[in-house]
Amino acid sequence: MPITHEGLARELEYVTNPGEHKHISDAIEPTAPIMQEMAYELIVGNNTEVDRITQEALQEGFSANQVLDDGLLNGMAIVGVKFRDNLIFVPEVLVAARAMKAGMVHIEPILSASGADPAGVVIMGTVKGDLHDIGKNLCIMMLRGAGFIVHDIGVDSSPEDFIDAVEEHEAHIVGMSALLTTTMPNMGRTIATFEDMGMRDEVRIMVGGAPVTQDFADEMGADAYGDNAVEAVDKAKELIVILEELKAG
Amino acid sequence: MSPTSEKMTSRQRVMSALAGETVDRPPVCNPTNVATVELMDLVGASFPDAHRNGELNARLAATGYTELGFDAISPYFSIIQESSALGCDMQWEQKDNWPTVRMSNPIWKSSSDVKIPADFLEHQDTKAITDSISILKREYGDEVAIVGKTMGPWTLAYHVFGVEPFLLGTVDDPGETMKALHALKEATIIYGQAQIDAGADVLTVPDHATGDLVSGEYYKRFLLEMHQELEEELSVPIMLHICGSTVDRMPYIAETGMAAFHFDSKNDPSEAMAAVNGKIRLVGNINNPTTLYARGPSEVRAEVNAALDAGVQLIAPECAIPLKTKLENLLEIPLAVEDWVAERGGN
Repeated sequence: MPITHEGLARELEYVTNPGEHKHISDAIEPTAPIMQEMAYELIVGNNTEVDRITQEALQEGFSANQVLDDGLLNGMAIVGVKFRDNLIFVPEVLVAARAMKAGMVHIEPILSASGADPAGVVIMGTVKGDLHDIGKNLCIMMLRGAGFIVHDIGVDSSPEDFIDAVEEHEAHIVGMSALLTTTMPNMGRTIATFEDMGMRDEVRIMVGGAPVTQDFADEMGADAYGDNAVEAVDKAKELIVILEELKAG
Repeated sequence: MSPTSEKMTSRQRVMSALAGETVDRPPVCNPTNVATVELMDLVGASFPDAHRNGELNARLAATGYTELGFDAISPYFSIIQESSALGCDMQWEQKDNWPTVRMSNPIWKSSSDVKIPADFLEHQDTKAITDSISILKREYGDEVAIVGKTMGPWTLAYHVFGVEPFLLGTVDDPGETMKALHALKEATIIYGQAQIDAGADVLTVPDHATGDLVSGEYYKRFLLEMHQELEEELSVPIMLHICGSTVDRMPYIAETGMAAFHFDSKNDPSEAMAAVNGKIRLVGNINNPTTLYARGPSEVRAEVNAALDAGVQLIAPECAIPLKTKLENLLEIPLAVEDWVAERGGN
């Protein structure tokens, strides 16, 4: 079935990688018109409309999972590609995220009550000395959307804060964010603390943030680096697979 | 710029390079900060006190010249002195961490809230820098360029409104954003002028409209004219500083009339030189977190050479450096510049 919403079809044209285009297109095409409308309004950052359409969809009998997968996440997939390709920047992502939150408010209680197994447990924080949290918050929103339980330990988080949170929540993954080149070395210090405490093998550690690179992540001994929130979700899923394989021996 | 065989003082070197004139060698000019924990220990002036006390600040700042051999002294280490004076919620941290503004507790919500206090220049944290500049000018003013720093309106807006509310506002109500930026620009001018009066030869204006957050078109739309106004209002050469990817906005930055642009290692030096097309000098762009912090002198030297080969006029770390950066890496920068000149001729 072709995509019936003209605005959403236009937005999909921004996805120029053929593989990605097919993947997102295949996800959108079978969805109901109301879901396509929701995805479009999310992309353009219309939180009032996403709020209204989400309520309407639930009243019409769509499930919370359908709203999440067919509406909100399909929209965010296009937002993620446009952000990665520098077609949009943080202000436009923030308005899309605000729209996603407007929908999540209605479906989160339903999803929580459903008792489905989480994709994994993640501790997310901005490293010591750094109070920036936009990137971290976007990652948290996307991870939660993808079924992870995420414990946000906030900004200015010491290595001990990360350790304590992993122990308390029996987390699988630690995600560290930094916006400043001056605070990035604290990612390495946190990883070293996990090693010193004998806990390095228990968790997989991923890092991200505007100045962070794959080279730097490798230098600090991280297990994964995500360039943006969409990639963070992909990396988290990969890390969970690795952990499961390790457990299986 | 062609080389001159006449040996220049550090100050002459920096001022000439910023004016686009002939120099004996490209200067090593630090628009932001090169203080490290080792240097703090060496002179007995540590963070956080060195941010807030003029005498301690001058003692630590001077090491950029006396110990590292850079051609400039930059006493304003952080980006938060004005924000403290405006009333922001501050976190001064310890010796080995940078102070910061608690932006999750913004002090203002709209342009109508913006009020620059009458005692703005007398606040401990703004005065520490002007006091330091007076001391440094008296002790080193003939030999070395004294670089002040006054935060641009975009960065001040992050601090007083919070990053997320401010950026959302640029979409929701761009007119209101412009009003807020114009109101905050007055703080930039007042503090810049105070540093000029205290003896600053040059001003750095950090204004973090970075490609990691906003588009190049945002820079043109919200900041280009404002930066042109700053260039007209402040009488000394200005080095604009924006972290992150900025090549897409460099053609606009080149139209500001400012003396130089301090750019990040995320931008290839040759591409950056092409983007500004000779309309503004470039300062940079040695990588901090990987090269200066985690690697060694040979990697530092390679980056210095790459910048010089591309034609970058003033050599510097890309931004304020990690506080545990090894001194041998910083010392390598001026050595590498001198060797480059000796081997290949002028810039």
